[in-house]
Order: sequence, then structure tokens, then C-alpha cells
Amino acid sequence: MRDTVRRLVDSPANGWRLLLALAAILYVAPLLVGTEYRLFVATQMGVYVMVAIGLNLLNGYGGQVSLGHGALVGIGAYAAALAMVDAQWSFWPAAALAMAAAAVVGAMMALPALRLSTWYFALVTLGFAQVMEGLMTEWRELTHGFAGVVGIPQPALLGYALPSTGLYWLVLTLDLLAVAAVASLLRSRFGRALIAVRDNPVAATASGVSMVWIKMFAFVVSAAIAGLAGALFAVQKTVITPEDFTAEFSIFFLLVVVLGGAGRLWGPVVGALVFFLVPELLAALQSWRLLIYGAALLVLMLYAPHGLVGAVEAGWKRLRARLGLSNIAPLPVTGAQQDGGIRPIDGVALSVRGVEKRFGGVAALAGVSLEVAPGTSHAIVGPNGSGKTTLLNMISGFYPVDAGAIAVGGRSVIGLAPHRIAHRGVGRTFQTPRMMPDLTVLDNILLGAFMAETQGALAATLRLPAARREQAQSLAEAMRYLDFVGLRERAMEPAGELPHGQQRLAEIARALVGRPRLLLLDEPAAGLSLDELDRLGELISAIRGLGTTVVIVEHHLELVANICSSVTVLERGAVLASGTPAEVFSNEAVISAYMGAHVRIEAAS
Amino acid sequence: MDLDLIPAGLTAGSLYALVAMGFNILYRPTNVFNFAQGDLVMLGAMVGASVMALAGLPWLAGAAAAMLCVAVLALVEERVAVAPVLKRSAHGHSWVITTLAISMIIGNLVGRIWGPDPIAVKPPAPLSTETFYLLGMAVSSYQLALIAVTLLLVFGVEGFYRTRSGKAVMAVAEDRDAALLRGIDPDRLSRWSFFLGGAVAALTGILAAPLLYASTGLGPSLLLKGFAAAAVGGIGNNRGALLAGYIIGMAEAVGAAVLSPGYQLAMVFAVMLVILLIRPHGLFGSAEARTV
Repeated sequence: MRDTVRRLVDSPANGWRLLLALAAILYVAPLLVGTEYRLFVATQMGVYVMVAIGLNLLNGYGGQVSLGHGALVGIGAYAAALAMVDAQWSFWPAAALAMAAAAVVGAMMALPALRLSTWYFALVTLGFAQVMEGLMTEWRELTHGFAGVVGIPQPALLGYALPSTGLYWLVLTLDLLAVAAVASLLRSRFGRALIAVRDNPVAATASGVSMVWIKMFAFVVSAAIAGLAGALFAVQKTVITPEDFTAEFSIFFLLVVVLGGAGRLWGPVVGALVFFLVPELLAALQSWRLLIYGAALLVLMLYAPHGLVGAVEAGWKRLRARLGLSNIAPLPVTGAQQDGGIRPIDGVALSVRGVEKRFGGVAALAGVSLEVAPGTSHAIVGPNGSGKTTLLNMISGFYPVDAGAIAVGGRSVIGLAPHRIAHRGVGRTFQTPRMMPDLTVLDNILLGAFMAETQGALAATLRLPAARREQAQSLAEAMRYLDFVGLRERAMEPAGELPHGQQRLAEIARALVGRPRLLLLDEPAAGLSLDELDRLGELISAIRGLGTTVVIVEHHLELVANICSSVTVLERGAVLASGTPAEVFSNEAVISAYMGAHVRIEAAS
Repeated sequence: MDLDLIPAGLTAGSLYALVAMGFNILYRPTNVFNFAQGDLVMLGAMVGASVMALAGLPWLAGAAAAMLCVAVLALVEERVAVAPVLKRSAHGHSWVITTLAISMIIGNLVGRIWGPDPIAVKPPAPLSTETFYLLGMAVSSYQLALIAVTLLLVFGVEGFYRTRSGKAVMAVAEDRDAALLRGIDPDRLSRWSFFLGGAVAALTGILAAPLLYASTGLGPSLLLKGFAAAAVGGIGNNRGALLAGYIIGMAEAVGAAVLSPGYQLAMVFAVMLVILLIRPHGLFGSAEARTV
């Protein structure tokens, strides 16, 4: 018995079989138990599922709360309905128009807010929903005002109007395609970038992801899906009025996503299903609806932030654990060959001249200069608060420079956004490792490949051969770096479960997958065990062996003396000394100011 | 252009600035933007209207009762909907959804208790909403008083931030952990912020009621216009919010006169988007230093 259950639970193919069986049932159901009313409800649910799938991409994976998706559906519905009724377009171009209209209007509304914090976006979309609700009534010349648009024709296929069963199949097919599209998008560099922007914006930026761009991308895709759903909404209802698209309608979609499970692929489907399974309950409590929505959102956010699917997943993991099965997925098989070794990297020079930075009245850096030759490794040492990390933050663009010049490979990087500097070949790690704790170590490292890949979003969504080839190459590359830092065995574990030291090594691997020509390491040795410290020393030497220029901020002077060819000592934001480790560590000023006179550096002697 | 638009715009703008100040009081120490703030304002107006118009309490007593009532509710909101999610993840944004949920709950309950009809509220004597002409503009003594009270409140609150306690608030906003080390208790501060933010919201509602009537519709509309004033002025900057409130109030008044009243909200929204597009952090705001 136990073995049977174990076999059932352990076979990944069973998941696919279940999915295929469910899909088959959904396709056949109208022929067996279809009544007009059931078809109507099922089709409507399918339309809502589609909106929720798009919203889940934006909200669940991208972390952006949209309170205006109902309005986007409204724009799509009006665009399609007006094109079909007033301009006699057929359904298909009208649906394309609906997608474009929702995407363009949505983008115009979202652009200012997406540059700012999450809650700006939530409020702007909330305002957008209210404004659109008003405009649909007010702009009578276009929208026919209160009366709405009536007599919307059915879509036609090959000259024949689709019967209601046909519309149901159409919506069902499009829903399945939407889930598949979102799934393949999520597996690509775009999905990882989006999740990184949600979970760890700093890591995303350092890996070359433009936060604004990726959020905008997710929003536009999500708005276009809402627009398409709007077109289907219009033909399904045949009459649309401004009252169909209230601000409450937008909140409904948020609730569907949160209920099903934000950031879970099947969450929106489950959420919509549950909503439609309890219609009688909601009908009786019509006037309490907003209260129920509010209470449900509150309770879910407090007690089940990953919704129903999240709860089922947690139960599933417990079941597997009880059956003695591992919850860690097997390492993926890479298509590309793996033992090709790591290609050499062409390191670049770093030049910092007279850089200044003030925080309020405090001068963090007062005219710091240093030069690092290509392919060498340079250490920045100094007491806490001497401005070491500030300097790294300025080289990588996280802080703006008050005065002075910074050039990477002879080109100035002053004024560039951090993700642009990453594109110039600057990789970095942080004092506290910046991981996405819920993603696997492998996925964390693959984020680093964002810049190295060139595939477009469409190619990634359609899983075109070129995109798949590139993804396989990135995977192979990531595996090589996992070997390089010695983390292959833990590749499929959530990064948050790794000890601190291993997270550091994983972060270095992530930076390396981006093939940095200049690598900035911020206190890589902090908190490492002796064993890991040895590995780190070897690792940095190996990195330099690849050709990358390495700049390392470190307190561990023995490590510095062993691996670096030059050192700069900072004290209170100014350069105290610079030169080879031997010169610097025998400098009297350095010894007394920083290390205390009694410290003896063995490696430097 | 009609000169009457000026007092109308300034009065509405003062109210938006007050809503924005409520947001800011709450936002500065907690970094939480309360989505229920509009409904707290609305609730203040409803409670105030009820105890004054229906129970016959004098204006000051009625205002104090409403402020206390809403402040306590805001404190409950902080305990139930904000503190637990911040405890789970200090930098998460779950509070966007939980405070929105509170807003929906308050909105629905108030609607059920008070019904859909707006309640007319008389201004406190000797003020009146009867208009007279001043420099060719139709104004009422209540409008003038409201504009003046708003100025006093905004500059009074700004003055507070320069005191020792005020600086403690700013310190927590900058760095919660560092403030903790210096003996400032962020949880206590967060509770106080919600309490005071609730009181300011209620006061705003009471001040708005004689002009806008007390009705459930106040909540969503003031949430957005207050946000617009806060965002355009620069989040956390109350003097900025005052000026931004005036800009938005004027834009709205002009929009209503030139286009049609139905386009008011669209006008406010468009003005806000354009300003944010040019200056993302508002007219007087600055980008917060990123912490890496």
C-alpha cells in the first residue's frame, strides 16, 4: 500500500497525466452535461481565469499590486465591442485591437509609477480604475454612456459564427495557452529577472536587469492578456455597460489571485474556480460583498500568503517527506556539453580619480584615487567606516558620485545606472549575500546569465529552438560554476537554506556566470569557516586565472596578502597608503593606524 | 476665467493637503502608506456628523469624540493588519493589500450602518457656508477658516519634526535597527503614528463635512486625491503636500469648469501622472538613498 502511494507520488509523469485528463474532461464536458446556462457560467469563468493568469504574472511573480485590471478588461471590452459594432470589424482584428489598446493605455498610466515603489503603482492603478469607470460613462460620443454597447456579434470562424460551445472551447484553449506561455516565460531569463525584482531588487540590478524595464514588460504582457480577456468578455456578454467595470471588479481579480496563490502557476485557475463554486453564497450576501472581499484578503495575507495552491504544496511536501521521498528536485540534465571548461575572460582596467561622497554632513570619501591594471587583483582594506563599501557602491553605480571620475576599461561610468554598469562588465557581490531565498541555488546562479543571453521574450515564450539552445548553454555554464565553487550537491536546494558561507560562494558564482571583466567582492571572507576560506583563496586565484580583474574589500589580511598584487588602505575616506602588500603592510602609518603596532603579518614578510 | 475658482480650488486643495499630511504622519516612521486612510477620513466625518447633528454635541466635543474613535480604530488596524505582516517581512509590501482590505471593510460597514444618504453638517458657529464677495471672489467664512486652519496644522506639524521627539520619528524612518539601538522603540512609535494619523484623518473628515457632506463616497475619492497631493508634493513632505494640494485643487476646479464635472478625477489623475513623469519623487521630494 505504502509502496503504491509512494510510486504514485513520486512519478513526475503522473502530474502530466492528471493535467491531460483534466483538460480532456473540460473539452468534452459541454457535449455531455452542457446546458446554455452552464456554458455561459463556464465561459465567463474562463474569461476571468485569463485575466487572473495575467495578473498573477505581474502580482504573483513581479510583486506589483495592480488594482486596475478590471479597468484594463474594460478597455479591451470597449475597444473590441466598438470596433465590431460601430466599425463592423470581425472578432479577430477587434481582439488584437483590444490587446493593443489595453497595453498602450496601461503602459501610459503605469510608466510614472513603475519607476517608484510598489505602493505608488497600487495607488495609481486604483486611481486609473476609478478614472476609467468615470470616463466610460462620461465620454458618451465614444462609449455610448450609461447605455453601453449592445448587440455585440459572436466571433466567426471560417465564415461561421461560433456557437456558445465554440466560444467555450476558444476561451478554454486560450486559457491553457496562456498558462503555457506564462510557464515558459517564467523558466526563461525574464522570469528569473522578474522574481529577482520582487525578492531582491539589488541582486537583480547587479545582474544587469533594468527594474523599470522588467516591471513594464510584465505589466504590458499582463495588460494585453487583460485586453484579450476583455474582447472575449464583450462577445460573451453581447452587451457591455460601464457598470461591468467598477473599481470593485479590479479588486475581485486581486482576490482571485491571492486566494488561489500569488506566484503559483495554477493559483489563478484555482482561485477563480473556488469563486465560481460558491456563487449562491455570494449572491445571498451581495450587499456584504466588499466586506467579504476585504476580510478574505486580510485573512489570506495574514495566514495563507501563498493561497490555496501554496497550502496544497506545503501539504504535498509534508506527504513526500513522510513517505521518505526527497523534496529536492534532481539536477536538470543539460543538453550542452559540460566539460568544455570555462572560457577565459578579458579583464579591464579600473581607474578611480579624486572620488568624493558626502552623506549629509559626513564625508564618506574625500578624494580617493586608485588604479587597477587589467587582469590583476587589488585589495581595499581599512577600518570599519573608512569608506570601502561606499567606494564599491560608487564604482558599481549604486550611489551617485559627488565629485571625481571613475572609468572601467577606459570608459567613464559616472552617471550610469547600476544595471548599465553591469552591462559594461562589472560584476559584484555584497557584504550580506543577496540571494532569492525561495529559489534554488541553481536559479539564483542562472540569474547571473541574464546579460549573457540574447533571446527575446517572444522567443522565450514560444520556446523557439534558438532560445532553448541558449538556455541549455546557460544551464551548462551555471553547472560549471557550481562545480567551480563546490556547490553542485546543493544546486537544487532553496538558496535560503544554505549556510551563510555557501551563500557567499553561490553569489560569487552568480557574478561569474555574467562573465564580469571587473569583479568587485565585498568582504567575501566574512563569516567563512577555515575550510571555506581556503576554497575562497583558491577560487579568487582561479578567477584571476581566467583573466578577470578583481577588486576585493577585505579585513582578512592574510588572504589579501596571498592573492592580491596591490593594496589600497583607506582611512576616514582618504587613501592612507597604497602599493604592493609587502610595502603597505610594513608601512608604519598603516600598522599604527589600522592594525595596531603589535600585529605581525606573516604572509607579507 | 472665473475668479470663484480660486477659493474653491484652495479649499479643496487644503483638504487634500490634510489627507496627505495624515498619510505622511503615518508614513514617516513606518514606511507604510495606509490605503485605509481615505476611509478613516470618511469615518471621522460620519462619526462627527452623527454626534454633532444627531446627538447634539457641541462642535469641539464632537470633533474630539470622533478623533478619539477613529484614532483607536487606526491603532487596531496597525495591530491587526500592519504589525503582523511587517513582523514577517520588514521590507515586504503585504501591507498594501492588508490596509486595502481594512479600507474595504470600513467602507462596507459604514455604508451599512449609516446608509447611502449624505448627512449635511453645519459649520461651527459663528462660521457659515454662506458666500460673500471678497476681491471679486465668492467665498464663505468657513472656507477662509479652513484654509487658515490647514496652514496652521501643516506648519505646526512641521515644527514638531524639528523637536527631539520629531527627530526620533525621522531616525526610525531612516534606519529602524539603528534607532532601536539608540533606545527608540519602533513598535511604540509605529502604534503612535497610526493613532495620530487616525486622529488627523478624523479631523480632516470633520473639517470636510460642512463643504462636502458626510457620506461613504468620501473615502475612495479622498484616498486618491490625498495620495495625489502627497505624491506630487514629495512623500513625507507636508509643506510640499500643501502646495501640491493647492495645485490639485485648482486643476480640479478648472477642469470641472472648462470640461465637465465628470472629468474632475481624470483631470487630477492626468496632472499627477505628468508631474510624476517629470519629477518621479514629487516637486519637493528627493530619492531615498539606496541601502546596499
